[in-house]
Formats: sequence, structure tokens, C-alpha cells
Amino acid sequence: MSKAFALLFATVLLASPLRSQDSLMVRLRNRADSLLRTWREAQLLADVADSLERVRATAGHDTIAVGGLRIIANPSPLPLREAAERAWPVIDSLYGSAAQDLAQHPFIIRAVDPDSGVRRTVLHVGIELPWDLDVRATTTALLTTVTAPHLDPALADWLGAALRPTLHPRDEPAAVFVQLVSAPSEAVRGCFLGDIARCKDVLQVGDTTGLLGRWYATPAEREALVTESFSDYFARSATAPSLQQCRQHRDDACTALLQSLPPGSLPRPLAQAARLLLVREVLRAGGRDAYQRLVARPGTSIGERLSSAAGLDIDSLVVRWRNDVLSARPRPLTLPWWASAAAIGWTAFFGFCALRSSRWRL
Amino acid sequence: MTAMFRAVLFSQWKWSRLVVVLGTVAAFAIPLLSLQGAARVDRGALQAQELLRAVQSWGTLYPLLATALGLLMAIAAWAADHRGRHIHALTLPLERWRYVLLRFGAGFVLLAAPIAAVLIGSSLAVLTATLPTGLQAYPIALAARFAFAAFVAYALFFAVSAGTARTAGIILATIAALVLVQVVASIANIDLDLLSAAQTVLLLGPGPLAIFTGRWMLVDV
Repeated sequence: MSKAFALLFATVLLASPLRSQDSLMVRLRNRADSLLRTWREAQLLADVADSLERVRATAGHDTIAVGGLRIIANPSPLPLREAAERAWPVIDSLYGSAAQDLAQHPFIIRAVDPDSGVRRTVLHVGIELPWDLDVRATTTALLTTVTAPHLDPALADWLGAALRPTLHPRDEPAAVFVQLVSAPSEAVRGCFLGDIARCKDVLQVGDTTGLLGRWYATPAEREALVTESFSDYFARSATAPSLQQCRQHRDDACTALLQSLPPGSLPRPLAQAARLLLVREVLRAGGRDAYQRLVARPGTSIGERLSSAAGLDIDSLVVRWRNDVLSARPRPLTLPWWASAAAIGWTAFFGFCALRSSRWRL
Repeated sequence: MTAMFRAVLFSQWKWSRLVVVLGTVAAFAIPLLSLQGAARVDRGALQAQELLRAVQSWGTLYPLLATALGLLMAIAAWAADHRGRHIHALTLPLERWRYVLLRFGAGFVLLAAPIAAVLIGSSLAVLTATLPTGLQAYPIALAARFAFAAFVAYALFFAVSAGTARTAGIILATIAALVLVQVVASIANIDLDLLSAAQTVLLLGPGPLAIFTGRWMLVDV
């Protein structure tokens, strides 16, 4: 009898924390559901507010249509039509046939008095431009604010930057060249030296498993990453001992710390310019419908999408990208002839001043 | 004339030999120090960036050294004449412009030592280092830039030093007036940016101090 009682007592004792844990889970789930509901309501309200704001911002405005571009703007001396006529071919050459879809996302522009002292109502949609901008500056404003049509979150996330026409086409590959030479990653170095598999790794267009090992292959790179980029983050009490071990060249500690980072927060060895350049190469290779194909299947992997958009296999694409980068090596660090001539000229000029000095005219 | 130049050169060497020797040692050492560790066998991808950073940091010393050499050599060239109130120079059977030209030329000859030191030091540093693939060395371009910078600095300070106290006063007064106008314009909220304009004129394009700007990199992509 006493044995049965003891068993019952033990069961009750064991069950009570489980039951309380169970109720805690229910409470947390309810709270999560409630938060989700609130978030959805907030989203709905934000959409309504956005829509009302859009109506307010565009009321009484003119619409300028050039190609697929639609610009809704208040009457002003701002040379929007001329700027749109200049911007449209550039935008069209990037997005190809998809550029026509930009008509669904008009630019909302408010030309404002360049005198900052004048008060005006605050609008939360579109862009404000001073009405004294010239055609060149207005064109730049259009090119740097155009929104890539149908860009899905996966592609946007991989790119890490907005896909827009580049204002300085030579600067982008030159910047990537510098990255290939100087990025602190053996994988990037391998890519520079012609290892296409490494290029695919650092561009994230191939196998994306085990990124840490692929991107930062050596213990020294991982240690440098932890101690230089995440030192403050890992200095918290829970990870501080591991950080200390990592600083003492314990690779297992460094690797564990980096693996504990939230998904997507491992720094990419190549900056966004490298991926933008690859997409530009894809769009060049694939013709006018390349962009349409690129955004057509958001569910597939980035490598497949790029390959299908360009009409080339991914290896050939990466080879072309690498060749583009290598051919864009920045100009050698030599002194331009005019700088030498200017220096000689100024030396002669100052020497002449000294010769003409009035020191002896007593 | 050659004998005269030799005499002026010798006297100028006596006055400025400390500057020349120290400048030459510094000019030889900076490129070697900037590439320290670049010859390590275990150098990986990390070191390419570190190397560029180090070279860039050390690179700031070249224009400073060129300026310091130009300034000190110019001061040394005229110090004895200023002390003696130019009496010795006036006793020479020589026009002033010839005398100035001899002094000017002697300074250039003495500057050749630190310039050669930069070239030799840079070449030696590059030869002993193993540079990561993709990086290139520019010892000749660096030495040429250093030479032009040293010449411009020397000529500028030589001209100022050769002038009278009145000339120096006029130059200083002009600079002070520029600053004063800028301050007054800022107080009066007038859209006038004289200092930026002066900076553009002096430092950009074919400006007199443009040679001091830019990248002083012994190693770059």
C-alpha cells in the first residue's frame, strides 16, 4: 500500500512541472498568436495609410510618360521629361522587356523650393527634388531611385543591394578587382587565381552548404573574423570564454562561435558589387528577356535562375564574370605626365620668383 | 662658373649635411619598414589586406618627408646669408640672379641623395619581399613622385626664404585675410567658401601642391 502511495506521489511530483511546462508553452503560443494578429492588423493599417498617403501625394499632379517610365509630379521647372528621355534607354537596357512593367510603379516626385527655409507639408511616399536641378542631376536622381521590377526577396537578399543602372560602369568591376586581390579569404584568392569552384562559393551561386568552411577556409581567417568583426558581439558572458579561447588560436572555439551566428549574418567575403556585376553579366548575355527569366522562378536556386536568365551554364557565366573583373584592373599607380609637367612648372615658377626677389635692392 | 657652383655646393653641404644625411636615412628606411613582414612564408590571404594597409599608412610619411626636406634645405640655403645681412654675397663679383641660381641648383643636387635613397630603398624592399599575387610594386613611380614633391617644396620655401621680410609679411597677410573673410562670411551667413576654393586651386589638378596629394603606395593592385 505504502509502495503504491509512494509511486502515486512520485508520479504527481513528476507530472506537476511537466504540466506547468505545458501550460507555459500554451501561454507562449497564445502570446505569439496574439502578436501575429497584431502585426497583421498593423500591416493592414500601414497599407491603408500608405494608400491614402499616395493619393494625397499625387493629387493635382501631372503624369509624364516616357517609355515604361511614369512620373507623377507637381508642376515645376524641374526638367523631368528631358531627364526621363535620357534615363529611359539606360533603364530599358538593364531590365529589357521587363522595364515596361515599371509603368505599374510610377515615380512620385515632389519638386520643392531649393530654399530650405520654406516650410512644406511632409509626405511619406516618393522623393523630393529641388526644382532648380539640371537635366543631368535629375536624370541621376531617376536612375538612382528606380525600383527593379518584380524583384523577389530571395534575389534581393542574395544581391544585398538594389539592382539599378550603374552611373560609373568602369568603377564597379575595378572595385571587385580590388576585392579579389585584397579580401581576407583564401577562397577569394583562389577565385582570383582561376579556381571557378571557389568563385561560385564566394558568389553563393553553387552549393550553399557549409558556407563557413567554404568562405573562410583557414583557421587564421576564422580567428580574424571573430576577433575583428564580432569581438563585441561575442564578449557577452555566455560566449566570452569561447571568445577567449578563440583569441588563443583555438580553431574549434572560433568555428563554434561563427556557427552560432544567426542565419545570414556571416559576412560575405565579397561585397555586393561582385554579385551586382554578375547579374549585369547575366542580363547582357541573356538579351532583352533575361530579366524576365531571372525573376520568373523565385523558388529555384540563384545559380539556376542566373543560368536560365543568361542561357548559359553557371560555370561559363562565372568565367565571363571573372574575365570581366580581371580586365578591369585599376590603372597602374604611375604619375600622369601632366602632374610631372605641373610639378616642373611650379618648381620653375617658384625659382623664378626667388630670382626676382628684391632682397638686394637696398 | 663651375668652380663657383662647386664652392656654393660645398658651403651649402656644410650647412645642411645633417638634414641631408638624416633625410637620406629616413628615405631609405621608410620603404623597407613599410614592407616589413611581406616576405613571410606563411603569408596567407589575410596579409594582402594588411600589407596594403601598412603600405598606405607608411605612405603618408613620403610627402611629409619631402616637405620637411624642402623646407629645411631652403632655410639652410639662406640662413648664413640672412645672418650676415647678405654682405658676403654683395661683395662677390656676381649678379644676384646668378647667385640665387647657384644656391637653387646646389639645393637640387643635395636633394638627389634622399631621392636616390627612396629609389634604392623601395627597390630593395620590393626585391626582398614576396608580394601576394595581384599586387604590384611601383618603386620608380614612388621615387619620381617623391622627387617632384621635394623639388616643389624646396622651390616654394626657397622663394619665400629668398624674399624680404616684407614679402613674407605680404604672403602671411594674404592668408590671414583669406581666413578672416571666410570667418566673416560664415558669421554673416553668406554662401562663400573661400577655403574650399583655395584648397581646390592648390591641391587639385595642376595646382602647386597637387603632387603631394594622391596615393603614395609602394605596393598596390
